[in-house]
Amino acid sequence: MSGESLLVRKIDWGTVLDHIPAWRANQVLKLLNLESLNRSSDISVIVLYNVPSKKLGRKDIVKLYHHMVSEEEAKILALVFPQMTINYIRDWKVEKHSPGLPEKIIGKIRCPETTCITNYEREPATPRYIVEREHGVVVCEYCDTLLEISRIPDFLKG
Amino acid sequence: MLSRGGDSGNKNILGSFPQQFENTLAGRDIISCRDFNREDVELVFGVAEEIESGVAGVEDALRGKKVALIFAEPSTRTFQSFYVAAKSLGADVISIHDPSISSMAKGETLYDTVKMIEGYGVDCIVLRHPARGSAKFVAESTSIPVINAGSGSQEHPTQALLDTFTIKKKLGRVDNFSMGMLGDLRFSRTIPSLCYLLSKHDGVRIFFMAPELLQVRREVELHLSQRGVVFRKVVKSEEIREIMPELDVLYVTRIQKERFPDLTEYEKVKGSYIVDMKLLSYGKKELGVMHPLPRVDELSPEVDSLPNAWYFEQARNGLPIRKALLYLILGGVA
Ligand SMILES: [Zn+2]
Repeated sequence: MSGESLLVRKIDWGTVLDHIPAWRANQVLKLLNLESLNRSSDISVIVLYNVPSKKLGRKDIVKLYHHMVSEEEAKILALVFPQMTINYIRDWKVEKHSPGLPEKIIGKIRCPETTCITNYEREPATPRYIVEREHGVVVCEYCDTLLEISRIPDFLKG
Repeated sequence: MLSRGGDSGNKNILGSFPQQFENTLAGRDIISCRDFNREDVELVFGVAEEIESGVAGVEDALRGKKVALIFAEPSTRTFQSFYVAAKSLGADVISIHDPSISSMAKGETLYDTVKMIEGYGVDCIVLRHPARGSAKFVAESTSIPVINAGSGSQEHPTQALLDTFTIKKKLGRVDNFSMGMLGDLRFSRTIPSLCYLLSKHDGVRIFFMAPELLQVRREVELHLSQRGVVFRKVVKSEEIREIMPELDVLYVTRIQKERFPDLTEYEKVKGSYIVDMKLLSYGKKELGVMHPLPRVDELSPEVDSLPNAWYFEQARNGLPIRKALLYLILGGVA
């Protein structure tokens, strides 16, 4: 499949992340940590930046050929980018997915508090956050520091 | 379960307690004051009072037990307090007083230190470390009970217990009173612990008196709001004297110059956060003044001889409280 045909081709199976705020697709990719996937997988990724959108004015789109975003990742994406739509594609058919909210986020975010034990790289302490949606924050389970949900993209690990 | 007389012969120091009571602290970690309920606190205070009253047999209560003190900060007072507490209950003490454990770059990690200590058959770990979250991390890394003796700027629960014990003894109650907290509320580890502990009690009002830069952290505010504690932030130093008549207790912490990016800012505010005769003249006659010590110049020595100076007695309460905690945590184990 050539690059050009990928752009226009429909997906037989995979995930389309639409209505990402303009120029934020890189943060989405960072959260998905695709480089950690098995290198022999036949995944392809198309990223569209700053395309016109009726809803948002401008938006980004990420198309993941032959990769299903996990439920855990979908929940975090829905938390951080509430206007994003997540579509799973199976056998050419599009299913809109509405994930619930995560209760905890494990490992994906580094703690904004520099003196937190999870920032001691040699200590095996994995950052772990409790989501407090009603206060618009996640809370580090180790050091109690609050992080605004809107600031999560600035603290993604990886 | 511990019971009167118990199976420990002359080790029983709980004679004044009901026939049977549950030692809710046996084998437990002491990481955050949020983990206590009111009964736990009263149990610690009850045992501390027994210990203070000098009932015989205490010196053997922890014979055969091993307490490890891991201090990754050059703290001396808390270390000594725990050392004396464990020794005077008959426990063996293994002490690792090594700031390099907290090095980000070199030396043995905290995790490895704890794993090594486990091999010594230790019954309790007392930890001081500059990282927030360090005590919780260690508690998750080992099945040995862990006592947090200071986790960075996060918490210092045993200090809060001895502070509240002092309030109980001096004020005669731990409910329905007004407390002013003055100075550096942002980096002081005792302030969050004290707030969490006071939030278990009824009718406590708290006034946070500090410049914006050193105000209490957001998670503490959030916790107090969720528990319905009435508090107010007082950021203008001119307002301090207006608040003084409201207070039953004034808790003073040190403001460090290094916290200010702009030294002229520090020079401007520092005088307002010094407790002396003049400031006390605005307060109630019986206002109690507390300080976790050591002090520098935020608490004038002229206050020392007044009945308002609670801080030396406060410091003395550290030993019975830490003995009571060690006794309860280890007393219920095997
Ligand atoms: Zn943290």
